[in-house]
Amino acid sequence: MELHLNRVDYIQVGVTSQKTMKLLPALGKKATQKVAIADHDGILTCFGMKKGEAVPVFKTLPGQKIARMDLGGAVGTPQEKIFVCSGSQVRGFTKKGKQFLTFEANLTETINAMHVSGADLFVCASYIYNHYCDCKDQDYYLSGDKINDIMCLSSENLTRLVPVLACQDRVLRVLQGSELAYEIEVPGPPSVLELFNKDGGNDFFTGEEILYGTTDGKIGLVQIGERSAATKWEIDNDKKKGGILCIDTYDIIGDGVNDILVGRDDGTVEVYGFDSSSEPTLRFDHILSESVTSIQGGCVGKESYDEVLTATYTGWVTGLTTEPQKAEAGPGDEVRMSKETQSKVEALRAELEQLQVKVLQGREQYQQTSQSSTAVSAVPVFSINDKFTLCQDDASYSLTLEVQTAIDNLLLQSDVPIDLLDVDKNSAVVSFSECDSEQPNGNFLLATYRCQANTTRLELKVRSIEGQYGTLQAYITPRLQPKTCQVRQYQIKPLSLHQRTHSIDQDRPMNRLSLVGQFSFAEIHSWVVFCLPEVPEKTPAGESITFYFHNTFLGTQLEANYCKGEGHFRSDNISTISILSDVLSKEATKRKINLNISYDINDDSVSHTLKMIHPKLEYQLLLARKVQLIDALKELQVHEGNADFLIPEYRNILDESANLLEEYKKQPAHLERLYGMITDLFIDKFKFKGQNVKTKVSSLLEILDNYELNSLLDFFNEA
Amino acid sequence: MSERYLLGTMLVPIFTLKLNHKINPRMVTIGKFDGVHPCLTAATQAGKVFIHNPHARGQRPVAHRLSQSTQDSDISLLNINQAVTCLTAGKLGSDTTGDTLLVGSQTNLLAYDVHDNTDIFYREVTDGANAIVLGKLGDIASPLAIIGGNCALQGFDYEGNDHFWTVTGDNVRSLVLCDFTGDGKNELLVGSEDFDIRVFKEDELVSEMTENETVTSLCHMHGSRFGYALANGTVGVYDRTARYWRIKSKNHAMSIHAFDLNADGVVELITGWSNGKIDARSDRTGEVIFKDNLSSSVAGVVEGDYRLDGQKQLICTSIEGEVRGYLPASKDLKGNLMDSSAEQDLIRELSQRRQNLLLELRNYEENAKGVSETNSGMGVIPANTQLQTALSVRPATEAQKAHVELSISTPNETIIRAVLIFAEGIFEGESHVVHPSAQNLSGCVRVPIVPPKDIPVDLHIKAFVGGKTSTQFHVFEITRQLPRFSMYDINFDSSAAPPTGRVTFNINDRPQRVVMWLNQNFLLPEGVESPDVTFNSLRGGGLLSISMASNGQITLRTDDIDLAGDLVQSLASFLAIEDLSAEADFPGYFEELRTTLTEVDEFHSVHQKLTAAMADHSNYIRNMLVQAEDARLMGDMTTMKKRYRELYDLNRDLINEYKIRSNNHNALLACLKSVNQAIQRAGRLRVGKPKNQVISACRDAIKSNNVNSLFRIMKAGTASS
Repeated sequence: MELHLNRVDYIQVGVTSQKTMKLLPALGKKATQKVAIADHDGILTCFGMKKGEAVPVFKTLPGQKIARMDLGGAVGTPQEKIFVCSGSQVRGFTKKGKQFLTFEANLTETINAMHVSGADLFVCASYIYNHYCDCKDQDYYLSGDKINDIMCLSSENLTRLVPVLACQDRVLRVLQGSELAYEIEVPGPPSVLELFNKDGGNDFFTGEEILYGTTDGKIGLVQIGERSAATKWEIDNDKKKGGILCIDTYDIIGDGVNDILVGRDDGTVEVYGFDSSSEPTLRFDHILSESVTSIQGGCVGKESYDEVLTATYTGWVTGLTTEPQKAEAGPGDEVRMSKETQSKVEALRAELEQLQVKVLQGREQYQQTSQSSTAVSAVPVFSINDKFTLCQDDASYSLTLEVQTAIDNLLLQSDVPIDLLDVDKNSAVVSFSECDSEQPNGNFLLATYRCQANTTRLELKVRSIEGQYGTLQAYITPRLQPKTCQVRQYQIKPLSLHQRTHSIDQDRPMNRLSLVGQFSFAEIHSWVVFCLPEVPEKTPAGESITFYFHNTFLGTQLEANYCKGEGHFRSDNISTISILSDVLSKEATKRKINLNISYDINDDSVSHTLKMIHPKLEYQLLLARKVQLIDALKELQVHEGNADFLIPEYRNILDESANLLEEYKKQPAHLERLYGMITDLFIDKFKFKGQNVKTKVSSLLEILDNYELNSLLDFFNEA
Repeated sequence: MSERYLLGTMLVPIFTLKLNHKINPRMVTIGKFDGVHPCLTAATQAGKVFIHNPHARGQRPVAHRLSQSTQDSDISLLNINQAVTCLTAGKLGSDTTGDTLLVGSQTNLLAYDVHDNTDIFYREVTDGANAIVLGKLGDIASPLAIIGGNCALQGFDYEGNDHFWTVTGDNVRSLVLCDFTGDGKNELLVGSEDFDIRVFKEDELVSEMTENETVTSLCHMHGSRFGYALANGTVGVYDRTARYWRIKSKNHAMSIHAFDLNADGVVELITGWSNGKIDARSDRTGEVIFKDNLSSSVAGVVEGDYRLDGQKQLICTSIEGEVRGYLPASKDLKGNLMDSSAEQDLIRELSQRRQNLLLELRNYEENAKGVSETNSGMGVIPANTQLQTALSVRPATEAQKAHVELSISTPNETIIRAVLIFAEGIFEGESHVVHPSAQNLSGCVRVPIVPPKDIPVDLHIKAFVGGKTSTQFHVFEITRQLPRFSMYDINFDSSAAPPTGRVTFNINDRPQRVVMWLNQNFLLPEGVESPDVTFNSLRGGGLLSISMASNGQITLRTDDIDLAGDLVQSLASFLAIEDLSAEADFPGYFEELRTTLTEVDEFHSVHQKLTAAMADHSNYIRNMLVQAEDARLMGDMTTMKKRYRELYDLNRDLINEYKIRSNNHNALLACLKSVNQAIQRAGRLRVGKPKNQVISACRDAIKSNNVNSLFRIMKAGTASS
């Protein structure tokens, strides 16, 4: 069944956070529903649509930024009480806008996730989970990594409320009271949780189901049991769409089965439906130009027409409705706007004019202050939604920046060598400026992006080199008077291409680096945070900790195990050990801590790593060779009129040429990166033997040019 | 760019073809070779041109250059045996039934009758043919095929006689004919690698527009309006010398074409981009009214009645051989194609504007409220902070080469976090950034600028001003103009050798006017009061001295003939002089030119010798091949092997010889280019009629191989003296 949805914009509020828009329950069957949305200005707006116009039900006064919203109500009654959290405070409103609850959670940190269920309130600040019942403290839990979202399962099948936390370290933590019941490993850092089906699963016997979405764009369904969980399905992110920000379930297709509605941080809205099998399939997608922060299924614009309602980062509430679009202007006619639209446009224009006058006054006053010698100019900080993440597929970082108003230009500056890659989606004109890294300014990259009009979101890709670390800075200037720019900093860590993983292969030949010295647990933890991405900043609870990582480019692994006074790092990649040893000793020296460093180098590990690189390298070399031949072969084909005279291998290249070129384009400089890592491996291997082999690098490159695994292995062994 | 009135869903391609042939970028045309059926014609790989004729399927003669493609029966292939550099089709002869196909390469121009399968003419063109245009030029009676090569323009009629020849400043990349002056006759517009668009009224240069990159495409819109595209992704529209609009994309514009897609009676600028995108933009505003995507880079955009139903279609081709045709929107729509999603977009745009105004208002309100001193990240600065900028000339020192220094400073304790300068044509990209490290932050930033050419440039400066620990900064936007001749220092070294080159001319104007010109066009902090000045050229060109006698005679002394030309042109346009003759002598440059001319002769003779040698070799190969095959048939494998080994050696020799020949050819081209440039330079020392006289007289001198006369003309301005 094909699904057609048409876009309708309703209103725009301030900047919104994730999950801050909900649909209130409908009063009667088929009636339109009211929308509640909360923004960073602290305003909670509730409105309904009447004849195409947004009619406010109520609107609260501005205040502190609202981070989350949830609906609640007594068990068995319509869930129509609105709860919002801002700072460490939770407030409750009736559907008429009357505030009936103000609850101070007394947390030192701000609440960033919340769930309401009957008289139970669950809130999470970065690492802390708190459960209140009737505003009284019940349970408390300290998580090992940041908590991104919380959801509670409650149904007759479970004996109790089961809170599930989505934690940054790629696990869902299922709690029992103040204790961790068990952990569920998921394929990426989970960013959002949602109940699958509003009543919490329909499978009566086997338990409860919960949907999760990850920051790297994957979606999955897990079934939560009392003691363990089972994954029902997972949707990968092959097309490299954005991370998931919100999920809802609603039967928009109208086939009697709830569909999954998904909103992503690159503006994609998706609807997944279910065929006879219980695997989800993509039925509809639509691109909005900015992050989709909330998504709901329901009926808003017009009675008896279902729709997918979205809220975006800049506060647009947009519906994708099943209502057919009005007929287009008839032939020969002047443009006919519907009366509703016309009056809407007129009202807007009138409002614009008034605003223009006010703004002119404001500008004048602002200009006048420049005459005064005591006045200061302080422009309020504008909000930026940014994300800097490592993409597993191509081992590069993606930086996305989103501002509530159009971006004028962006300056990127880096004090470490990095490559800036072109992103197709990005229409901004990039210009690289000369930078003398020799000079005291130490710039390795200076690039400006001049954006096309109406660009509120920018996506960039950056490739780093392990061992080279520093800071990438982005200066963002929006098109807003008085002009200001804001700087954001992103750390390029020494082992920048490593990613957290749940476990490692213990059978590989490993090298070990051990540190012993007078350092505290917090100190060594801070060094690990400095070296590796995805490690929580907070020092872990307990005496010692073990983290596992894998190298997204080469597939090698690292185990970090440390406690007070002692640290052990094991990796099959000798370069990883070398980088760690350099950085850790430097960090320790900075703090004047004496380190006793010992190595346990396994020579087999080098051949092992080379053998791991081998298939990648061979594939790339073959690809490069084939791509090189394409043009010449095509020319021969044209010259001879056909390709029948060619050997099958060449004919095959011609047949596959489009795919080959695409594949080649996808992995720019892949070979060079592999060569670089093999060279590092070579230098590092002999560094641990106390030999400097930099002079032999040229012979190594020669061998790589005529690559053959055995000759490379021999060279590594003999040199 | 707002895309509010997108034709969007309304316009879908009416036909899509996959031609199994690659298409070379910018080498696509449509010709009615039999006078009736339009055929898409394009250059493809292996030195071939394909002609797509789906209208007359069936037998067509296969002979001479033409052969049938085995991959597609509608396609005939034309063998050029040389890399094609440009092609076009159109009516060249007055009494021919069909269009003539013209194909240019680096060395030849072929005029071909596709219908009769015969060569019309085949001319050697030493300056190459980078671009071609066909049509009537000025008062010349017959239509011409005009090719643009290395600094030269040449026009051939149907017989292959060249009726038109002139030189231009650099390698020609694009040509178009249009009535620029509005006199009812066509002028020739020439886009070249020195970033200029030049307008020729026959061989007289009437206008010059300077852009900031190589001009890769030109197309006539209507009246005196024309579109252009640059190598850096810019497209835009000019009306005469005034630029209407331009936009820049990170992609490259491969082809531009004028076509009325929305049927409102006015053509739009259709651009085909390197990422496969096609867009149609309003000729007045540049607003996008339609866009579509091909799966690979666009190769060319043309128009023709490909369905033979009396309606022209816009035809877009990609380098992979994809072809799409679009019909203009139906007349009923009258270009008003607002559908309900456009309504949504209008409302969205208005709301966005409202949001922006609200945000701005909030900025002022919050600012008026004042802030707590604790929030240091906000970058609070005194309201009276104003940036001071200054430009000055800095001669070379041991640490730094000579440059123009732009200094930007704040008057108080605030610091400048970074400076962005956007300017065209003086940096590698479009911007230059200065970002001091955290330890070196101060209230003053000095930016060295080295403009590579003598052009006036607007510097759009953005400075981020705040406190040392701020995370938000105020952005100060200032525009400063860098004068045309900024790399000349008034403080010169009097011991330096005086320049030997000079140009002398007379003007009827007061010295004060010349002083005004000096002050406007040079970077003179204190200004000058007399027209007699001497500068030190910071680009290493030695001294430049300007003097004016009481009788209005001006003498410019410099060894740089280009600089002299620039100065003459700049001064003449400042003083509004229409015709200016001059006497000149540049001994150093002329000596170089004399050497070049002898080299040209040498290269020519080498070329001839090599061609003869090649002919010998090919005979030899033929014999050898026959012998080898004979031996094979006779079963004499030893002889066969021997012969083939000899052939192999010969082949290697041929390749080597080919390398020598192509090196020789490239060297010859370089020399010819510098000869053409010399003529252009000699012309630029004069203005108006005297300029054209010098150019045509120089050309005659070269044709008759009279080197002495050439130098006499360059010096005196005329041949007779």
